[in-house]
Amino acid sequence: MMSDDYAKAIPVPGPESVPFWEGAKNHRLMIQNCNTCGHHWFPPSTVCTGCGSRDIEWVASSGKGKVFSFVVFHRLYHKGWEGEVPYVVGIIELEEGARMLSNVIDIPVGDVICDMSVEVVFEDATDELTLPKFKPV
Amino acid sequence: MIEPSTHLRDKYALVGAGHSRLGKVPGVSAQGLLEEAMLNALVDAGLTTQEVDGLICRGPDEIYTFHQVMGERLGIDASFSTTLTNGGASQVMGVALAAMAIDAGMASCVLVGYGRDNWSRVHANKENHMRGSGRPQQMYGMEFGPEFGYYGAIAAHGFGAQRHMHDYGTTREQFGEISLAFRKYALNNPDAVMKKPLTMEDYLAGRMIVEPFGLFDCSLQTDGAGAVVVTSTERAKDLRQKPVLVKGFGTGNNISGWFNDDNMTHTGAIQAGKTAYAMAGVSPSDIDYAQIYDCFTYMVLVQLEDYGFCQKGEGGAFVASGALDLNGVMPTNTSGGQLSEAHVEGMLQVVEGVRQLQGIYGPERQVPNAEIGLVSGHGGNTVCESTLILGTA
Ligand SMILES: [Zn+2]
Repeated sequence: MMSDDYAKAIPVPGPESVPFWEGAKNHRLMIQNCNTCGHHWFPPSTVCTGCGSRDIEWVASSGKGKVFSFVVFHRLYHKGWEGEVPYVVGIIELEEGARMLSNVIDIPVGDVICDMSVEVVFEDATDELTLPKFKPV
Repeated sequence: MIEPSTHLRDKYALVGAGHSRLGKVPGVSAQGLLEEAMLNALVDAGLTTQEVDGLICRGPDEIYTFHQVMGERLGIDASFSTTLTNGGASQVMGVALAAMAIDAGMASCVLVGYGRDNWSRVHANKENHMRGSGRPQQMYGMEFGPEFGYYGAIAAHGFGAQRHMHDYGTTREQFGEISLAFRKYALNNPDAVMKKPLTMEDYLAGRMIVEPFGLFDCSLQTDGAGAVVVTSTERAKDLRQKPVLVKGFGTGNNISGWFNDDNMTHTGAIQAGKTAYAMAGVSPSDIDYAQIYDCFTYMVLVQLEDYGFCQKGEGGAFVASGALDLNGVMPTNTSGGQLSEAHVEGMLQVVEGVRQLQGIYGPERQVPNAEIGLVSGHGGNTVCESTLILGTA
């Protein structure tokens, strides 16, 4: 799909998050890892959020994790979601420890619960944008 | 580990409080509403703008150096002035900062206030109305949110509510008890926006917005402003009102993020409260009433736990016990709060906290024998908390 036909919000990456979005395009879920203490985190920064080290790198997550918490949108806040309410927005805790916000999909809305196991699926939204989403294992 | 300065205890006082018209106030800017509230607060204190040398305020967050805009409109030069940007925690923090500024010799009489024209903004155009926000989207993140359909403070707080329900078995009916309790107070407050009684049936029938929150879990969209005047307790003796002393204050900011650790179920109120209690030399059992920042029902419940009015995880049972009523163990949000009076981001909580100790109300609203109260502010993308403990002289 061309971006012009895509009705939902298109993310505007900050300079530090380009590797995440490039990774998603290649269907890899990129997070940051600290070479000093082994901590993984998200969203991106230029220092380790665990120990403050600058010796950090981007690594691919296994994409497996669990739903730390979630909400169900019943009200429409953006016209791009017309016809898709109710939908689930979750905070996913990856097995490496980093947490990220995404949609929980491929499950009836009422069946989502905290701590359920999920894994990443890559949704190619446009030619330029791929969104990592999560479905039950 | 920090040690709050107990020498500040009782040294500074709130000597006047005021608010503007509340609710739908079309045709008046946030600045205009704040002027209204500030002048009302000065009149309450028996002071004029000429005696003010400190200005701490907040308005719509996209207005650059808001205190300068207000100073120009009020004709005030200030030895100390600033705009705060801790969201809903700013207003309580403004009072704390005023006391600190006076203590440091930077000012002697400080006006603290907040004004918003949120109802007018949300209803100004379709885009704002759909997003339910008067703020430009650019003020929120442009990635890791909107592309997943994640909008608004309601969802952020909803994550916390959901996790609390999961960890402690908290129920929607228990959230509802909070809405019902505050609505009862609003019915005794002629300035409150909400005028009709609310039953549990009404609460449960309210349309779902962002689950687990329905319509009656959400604070109101309102125009309005509030303000207070802070000066030394020494100077307060010559002023019009019975002074309300700042016994203690504290702040706690889980700015590593709401999604981090267990921050969404163990909030900044834990640190902020601990600090405020230590400065004031009191404990939770000494508090006669609480004015708690209530953007959403869940935030009341979790703050009541975090301030030590009940154990962690027992907030649901606590609010369902009638604790929040005027004759309960912790009368809370006695003006109706942001859920039923008006949402002025915690500033009306400060105003009500002061008025309870001025003792101006009749028996339908006055907390009997109130001597010490706690006021909370919460916001700044859900992780900033400020606490004020007020007392009679
Ligand atoms: Zn590290």
